[in-house]
Amino acid sequence: MKDTLTKVVNAAVDQFGAEYVEIRVQKLFKTMLTIKEEMVEAAKEGIENGAAIRVLVNGAWGFASSCSLDVKTLVDVVSEACRMAKVASQKLKNPIKLVESKAFEDSVSANPKKDPSKIPIEDKIRITSTIAETMLGYDKRVKSCTVDYLDLAGTNYFMNNEGAYIEQDKLYVWSRILVTAKEGEVFTFSREEVGSTSGYEVFDIEAPEIVGERAAKRAIEQLKAKTPKGGTFPVVLGPNVVGVFVHEAFGHLAEADLTLSGSVLMGKLGKKVASDVVTIYDDGTIEGAFGSFKYDDEGVPAQKTLLVKDGVVVGLMHNRETAQKFNAKPTGNARAEDFRVEPIIRMRNTFLEPKDHSFEELIEGIKFGYYFKSFRGGQANLDGTFQVGIQEGYEIVKGEVGEPVRNASISGNTLETLYKVDAVGKDFELWPGRCGKGQTAFVCDGGPHIRVKEVLVGGGA
Amino acid sequence: MAVLKEEETISLAENAVKIALKHGADEAEAFIYQGFTTTVAIERGQIAKSSRIIDQGLGIRVVANKAVGFSYTNIIGSKAAVKETVLKSLKSARASKPDKDWQGFSYKKPYANVRGTFDSTICELSPEDLVKLSSSMLDAAEKTDERVFPIEGGTGASYLSRAVVNSNGVMGFDCGTIIECSLATVAHESGEVTPVCFEFNAERIYKIDPEWVGREAARLAGLSLRAKRVETRNMEVIFAHFALQQLLYYTLMDAIKADCVQRNQSALKGKIGEKVASEVVTIYDDGLLEGGLRTWKFDGEGVPQQKTPIIERGVLQNFIYDNYTAKKEGRESTGNAFRAGYLSTPNIETTNFHFAVGEKSPEELIGEVDEGLLVYSLQGAHSSNPASGEFSVVATPAWKIEKGRIVHPVRGAMLAGNVFEVLKNISDLANNERKIGSLVAPWVLVESVKVIGK
Repeated sequence: MKDTLTKVVNAAVDQFGAEYVEIRVQKLFKTMLTIKEEMVEAAKEGIENGAAIRVLVNGAWGFASSCSLDVKTLVDVVSEACRMAKVASQKLKNPIKLVESKAFEDSVSANPKKDPSKIPIEDKIRITSTIAETMLGYDKRVKSCTVDYLDLAGTNYFMNNEGAYIEQDKLYVWSRILVTAKEGEVFTFSREEVGSTSGYEVFDIEAPEIVGERAAKRAIEQLKAKTPKGGTFPVVLGPNVVGVFVHEAFGHLAEADLTLSGSVLMGKLGKKVASDVVTIYDDGTIEGAFGSFKYDDEGVPAQKTLLVKDGVVVGLMHNRETAQKFNAKPTGNARAEDFRVEPIIRMRNTFLEPKDHSFEELIEGIKFGYYFKSFRGGQANLDGTFQVGIQEGYEIVKGEVGEPVRNASISGNTLETLYKVDAVGKDFELWPGRCGKGQTAFVCDGGPHIRVKEVLVGGGA
Repeated sequence: MAVLKEEETISLAENAVKIALKHGADEAEAFIYQGFTTTVAIERGQIAKSSRIIDQGLGIRVVANKAVGFSYTNIIGSKAAVKETVLKSLKSARASKPDKDWQGFSYKKPYANVRGTFDSTICELSPEDLVKLSSSMLDAAEKTDERVFPIEGGTGASYLSRAVVNSNGVMGFDCGTIIECSLATVAHESGEVTPVCFEFNAERIYKIDPEWVGREAARLAGLSLRAKRVETRNMEVIFAHFALQQLLYYTLMDAIKADCVQRNQSALKGKIGEKVASEVVTIYDDGLLEGGLRTWKFDGEGVPQQKTPIIERGVLQNFIYDNYTAKKEGRESTGNAFRAGYLSTPNIETTNFHFAVGEKSPEELIGEVDEGLLVYSLQGAHSSNPASGEFSVVATPAWKIEKGRIVHPVRGAMLAGNVFEVLKNISDLANNERKIGSLVAPWVLVESVKVIGK
């Protein structure tokens, strides 16, 4: 592989005028299952081999991809990428430059205890069916369930014209569990996700029955839930909701491409944007976590990046292009979903740092408010408006957790809301998930329980 | 890589089916997808990027003892790789569990001619042509309002083809084109940033207006500055095209899928023939709509696409089916098996979800509103409850309407309710139909929606 890539990289520089060239080859094997109730909809396997080539010519980007990996085709593809860059440079105002980055030569192997590519598909069907059966057997009001399973194993090869050459194994195991329940005219819906980069052993850490029961129990309990009152209330957020809040409401704004696009964090580096108890990291180095990897798709090592320290913005998430603009170091956040797309700035494992409060201390002073334990989707906007949907929530009445509420969501402006975080718990959980930004990336988010003095709660009709 | 022609594509698919049958499959179905896309992208105020993406692949679905296996590959030039893929799908099927409801693949039926789905001009566009289109869009945005910053967007031209062959005699090839341009903007003024405003124009034939997209994206951002909060109360809401698409995609468009209905995940189960929306609502799922973004001769299983009445004058008429869910009920597929390329098995999706338009212009519709909101886009629609239709979302960008006039942009307003109540409360529709993904609809006016302002 190294010889092939060297020839392509040399051709780009010597023949086609590239200032910078990188080639990323992917050889992946995937297994997918979908279980609907007790039926296996289809057992699926696939091979995805391909190359992505990105070049800078005259300060503009050119990108081309190919499913074929022979040298002759790849040289054609790199020539195409260079031609595309030249065309794009016609109207360029500010040429793109990349920050300097050490060129690594490395080989990174995955060392799973249980390699998913060696586990027979029968076993994967058994585990996913167990989750489904557990949910269907939990209560007769459980009406349907869907369990998706994916594992992906293979190798990525990266080379650029600055001397980097990295062979890196990729390994992901993921499952999403959806369950619905119905009683009279009330429908409820609950979701769980499992995700790991360590290996198939993720199903030994938490047994499929436990995951299934958690999902089913939530759907059933929500049947008797009421809709929340709309308005501004004090809330306690569980680690699962804190994670998505930190990811959506703050994280996206701190992706340097979005900051440069004019997110509310523009010009806020070094400034206070949150209360003193707020410290936020994006960390690509947590072993086995769903958002971890050794090198990003520009060959930059992943690191633990401090974004907010005691309420002050101290860092952003960068690729080599934005790091150059901010005169910062690249942080290893450039990720591409596959060979069909270019790397863009993505989060890894994003979390709020725990402090010192117990759960009881967080809720004891609240006369009336809400405890939001688990989320169902969230979304942010560059102006700092965020929305997080809630799949499991409860009233807090006189300092105690009360009756369940369903279909709540919270919204507000990120910076205003971060100032209203007035107490941070001492527990900590990290949850796997998938983030969409045109491409899908596997991530984790999390943190401890926190209390927010007031936030807008969207109620039912 | 070159474009595979019709005969080559069909013969590749036929060969895969043959291999499957030869190695013991009871049934087999091959799907081949090709996509060639050229884009010129705008990033942070300038054209800085161009790309050429080629994607080709084969997906094969086989059945052995009523158990379904699927495998795919993007190495279709190699006979060995294709054979290996077919054998993998067989191995998967044999490892899987039988599905008692499996009743075979679809049978051959004649395909209708579709119109306005292919334009050779789009295939001939050079990257230089796309730079010109992107550039005219960018210039138009910058001229419209100097407080506006174009953050991302661009122009893309695609040629797509699909072929299905199965062991029941289905054999089809169809190709089409799409051209689109889009621009996302924000406006800044004295420390205030607006939400992202977005416009786009996508067509199957070469008839797009990038200058309009640029002007409109900039105009919306400019009009979003100096936003104010509103009071919490029920009010009239006009859902503009994007907002309507977001609201319905995660709720109504799920609720009419036969799969959701059969599995008790739809609040519309058992309601065929009942009034589920106001009288002004008529919706067809029209897979043959001229120039529709989802118009093809046949669906992902080779079943002819068709025009299916969903709601007529408020009364629910039909659900949408693929082959599997249709056979389960002893009926015919409605041609709604959707494939996301060659990577997956089909699942049920709407084709062109087409609302009948009203008679008023958008200005006249605004003129009808005494107190309400005009909502362009929703944030968080994907967190709606797909089974019940309940939603709790942020309206952004949105504008306050008072006494028939837009008075100011609105910040941070949430909308909460149930989509099936919303459908019953639609009091009027405008005449400004647009294509947004699978939705083809005008603005709709809803009488009473709960708005949570502060």
